[in-house]
Amino acid sequence: MTKITFDDIGLKKFTLEKLPRLQELRSLSFARKPEICIERARYVTSYLRDQDNPADSPEVRQAKKVSYFLQRKKPVFHDRNLLAGSTTSKALGAPLFPEFFALTLWPELDTVSTRAKNPQKLTADEARELNLEIFPFWMDNNVLELTRKRIGNAESLKLFESLVFFIAAKAGCISHAVPTYAPMLEHGLTGLISMAAEREAAAVAQASDEGEKMADFYRAVQISLEGIIQYAAHLADEAERRAAGEHDPTARQELLDMAKVCRRVPAGPAATFREAVNAIWICQVGIHAENINMAMSPGRLDQLLYPYYKRDMEAGRLDVGRAIELIGCLWLKIADNVTMVPEASEEMFGGAGTVPAITLGGVDEDGEDAVNDLTYIMLRVTELLRIRDPNVNARYDYEKNSKEYCRRVSEVILNTKAVPAFFNDRANITALTGQGESLEHARDYAVIGCVELASSGRDYPASSSIMLNLAAPLEMALFQGKRPITGEEQIGPSTPDPGTLTSFAQFWEVFKTQLDWLIEQAIELNENMGAVHQQMMPSPLLSAFFEGPMDKGKDLIQGGSLYNSSGATHIAFADVVDSLNAIEQTVFIDKKYSFAELLQMVKSNFAGPAGEKMRLYLKNRAPKYGTEHAIARKNARNIVRHLFDLYQSHTNYRGGPYRPAYWTMTNHAGLGGITGALPHGRKSGELFASGITPVSGAAPELTACLNAVAELGGECVPGCWALNIKYSPENDVEQMSERFAQTIEAYFRAGGQQVQFNIMTYEMLQDAKKHPEKYPELMVRVSGYSAYFKDLNELMKDELITRTMYDLTNGRAVPYSAEKGGK
Amino acid sequence: MLDLITEQAQKKLWEQLNNSFTSEAAEEFLQTLLSLMKVVFAVNHDYRRNIKNFEGRYQFCSKDGEVTIAAVFHNGSMEVMEKKIDRPDITITFRDGKTLLNFIIAPRQDILGSMLRHDVVTGGNLNYLYKFGYMAKQLQLMMPQLPR
Repeated sequence: MTKITFDDIGLKKFTLEKLPRLQELRSLSFARKPEICIERARYVTSYLRDQDNPADSPEVRQAKKVSYFLQRKKPVFHDRNLLAGSTTSKALGAPLFPEFFALTLWPELDTVSTRAKNPQKLTADEARELNLEIFPFWMDNNVLELTRKRIGNAESLKLFESLVFFIAAKAGCISHAVPTYAPMLEHGLTGLISMAAEREAAAVAQASDEGEKMADFYRAVQISLEGIIQYAAHLADEAERRAAGEHDPTARQELLDMAKVCRRVPAGPAATFREAVNAIWICQVGIHAENINMAMSPGRLDQLLYPYYKRDMEAGRLDVGRAIELIGCLWLKIADNVTMVPEASEEMFGGAGTVPAITLGGVDEDGEDAVNDLTYIMLRVTELLRIRDPNVNARYDYEKNSKEYCRRVSEVILNTKAVPAFFNDRANITALTGQGESLEHARDYAVIGCVELASSGRDYPASSSIMLNLAAPLEMALFQGKRPITGEEQIGPSTPDPGTLTSFAQFWEVFKTQLDWLIEQAIELNENMGAVHQQMMPSPLLSAFFEGPMDKGKDLIQGGSLYNSSGATHIAFADVVDSLNAIEQTVFIDKKYSFAELLQMVKSNFAGPAGEKMRLYLKNRAPKYGTEHAIARKNARNIVRHLFDLYQSHTNYRGGPYRPAYWTMTNHAGLGGITGALPHGRKSGELFASGITPVSGAAPELTACLNAVAELGGECVPGCWALNIKYSPENDVEQMSERFAQTIEAYFRAGGQQVQFNIMTYEMLQDAKKHPEKYPELMVRVSGYSAYFKDLNELMKDELITRTMYDLTNGRAVPYSAEKGGK
Repeated sequence: MLDLITEQAQKKLWEQLNNSFTSEAAEEFLQTLLSLMKVVFAVNHDYRRNIKNFEGRYQFCSKDGEVTIAAVFHNGSMEVMEKKIDRPDITITFRDGKTLLNFIIAPRQDILGSMLRHDVVTGGNLNYLYKFGYMAKQLQLMMPQLPR
């Protein structure tokens, strides 16, 4: 039975001009300046200081803390959005989580509102409260410091704090999850609370330690969910209060309608599409009360909401225009928050959103086409709004989904110039079944944050646990366990001087020695931070929206989910592959240069005429990842395979494996900027390539580039990757969509897992850098997420400008010229 | 009389701190900053609230070993010592005065860059550094317009 009833799947007759509410809200969203919201920090601090009972279990303590905040959270209505609820008390708010990195704001409490780059408003009174009341409480009590208390200044912690080896992201969050809201929509939160109460009673009846632990967990779930119900009731009260003072009858009725919705959901089951949408949003706000707003991804909303949409459409209670309006309101609500970024971190993370991912299309649990009318509505909303968050992703099964769907997604990408990203169902389902997920569960995967994969509401992947700089072990292999940036300090194992090695196989072993050592350090720290989270930051509220915890009586952080894992992503993949290629070909096969000569030039940053001559040789003659060269393909495969085997051999604190991935956010720019010269002719300070993308300028043929990446896909990359491709725009969008869709299909048939695009030229991006005022809404894909170009730091802007641009009409790279942009 | 001496000492310290920003040689920066902090704690009630009930032990060292200074906050007071102390909450090791100035207080502060380049290496609880950074920034914002 077809689920598509539209004659025009592009829904072109629905424009922003005909949707004035969305047009108004969109304008507001661009006009708003971010403000720091201290509301959560204030309430969780006062709760812990005055009311916390250390004798409670960690889950109950967390539930009471979060519920205390939710019951006091201010109900606010900033605009004419049809949905009630907001992440923070500000119209565009950056919430503070003192459990993590909020104290990094301390030095700039008086200047953050006026700083040059991406200011975030903070009032003088709020700054004073943070300085004198809130921050002092947390000085020795955030995740990082509790980890230090646990392990002292261990080697792994020192490596993390030096920032140039790996990032242990648990110091800043776990978050990164896709809950399932289906049980909440069906039973309401009161239904879930009743279920938890029954199970609590059964657990108590066991009269055992294990039963008591389970009972504590069920108790914590009830306390948390009660907090959300209270918050929804306060939203209803406030909407009614405002309606009473409202003179405009339309506005008054809208407020009364919102109040009515909040009186019913999420406490009770959702009866209509609108109630379902608002219930999801209020629960999403609840999730943000417990865990920091980073990649908390609503998931497959076209699947989840479709039954409510269909029922209302059939009953004549809803029309397409209203559905577009409601989904547009949801998109804008999801974008109501940003992360607090201290000035010091702008260089690495500037411009990033909170990356809540929405996943559309693909196949259903039976492996059949899941695309429906709501998929196209959500694509149209994405096309119309062109906003950074949510991060919209389109799944595509080239055997099951229609070509029209693929072309329509392509058209939206061309029109927005950046979104959505494309995900290959065949390769990604293979990747997840390879991790032990059942076929039905793997088919129901959704994207988390940038690109990571998880079975919706069943898989707790902590997908950004480790972000490892692959250039670090490469340098350590070159310099016997030391790195130029850390001077004479012996960091890794003391491996042989590469000048003494007689084969590339020997160097590969040296590289693996350093790589494995560094990964062991990163895993050790992640395990310790995981243990701290288990005590300090359980997630009973989030657990209520997962399959597993309610059956096992166990919080997500204790392994309650059906599937558990920890994600490790890698920075500088392409640069390291190309360096290995250069060493193998130039030193050991061609014997053009000795290893000692190469090392000397790398150390000197290819200084002098001889250095420049060598650099050009390495850059132009050594094999490159992203081409069909056998050595480049082998080295890329070997790294991916080795990382997969190594990570999979470790079991995390929740009983699941580590999953490797290849996405980099903006770290490839920041870390590239401070890394010395490398053997593939890269000079000191040049930026690394993003995600799994080949080095800029290294892959002249589009087809060869896509094939070289695609052959790495599937089982060995369970955390997925970000491949960035830049196309020069063409005038004929229809013709370009056709070619675009054909290229996607070929890449996916070859095994590619994900691809994302920027449809823009070198010249346009250079102009946008020079004249940001001309491009206030220019959205770009970074490495897995979208950002507004104007908000990015200078390094990241340069990286986007110099990324290889392909001409889709002939499949060739357009050469880059710094002076002229593209030639 | 005491007020006058304090005022004069303060004025001199403000001048020295101001010079640190403009001078290439910022070697005296740390000593000046800590001395000024101590004086302002003594005379400014609002500023003194920063260290009410605050216990913190800071160790500053230059990489070449030339500078070893400790700042200890205890019972609402501040003590500065030119020596190594036991159990510092945080140790800040810096390449030279200029890099420390860029790290802590410069108008175009470069905290992350300083750490990434290893111009400044820290050991211990960074939250103590963030608090110190705030107190230093507050001083900077209090700096009077000095006559040229």
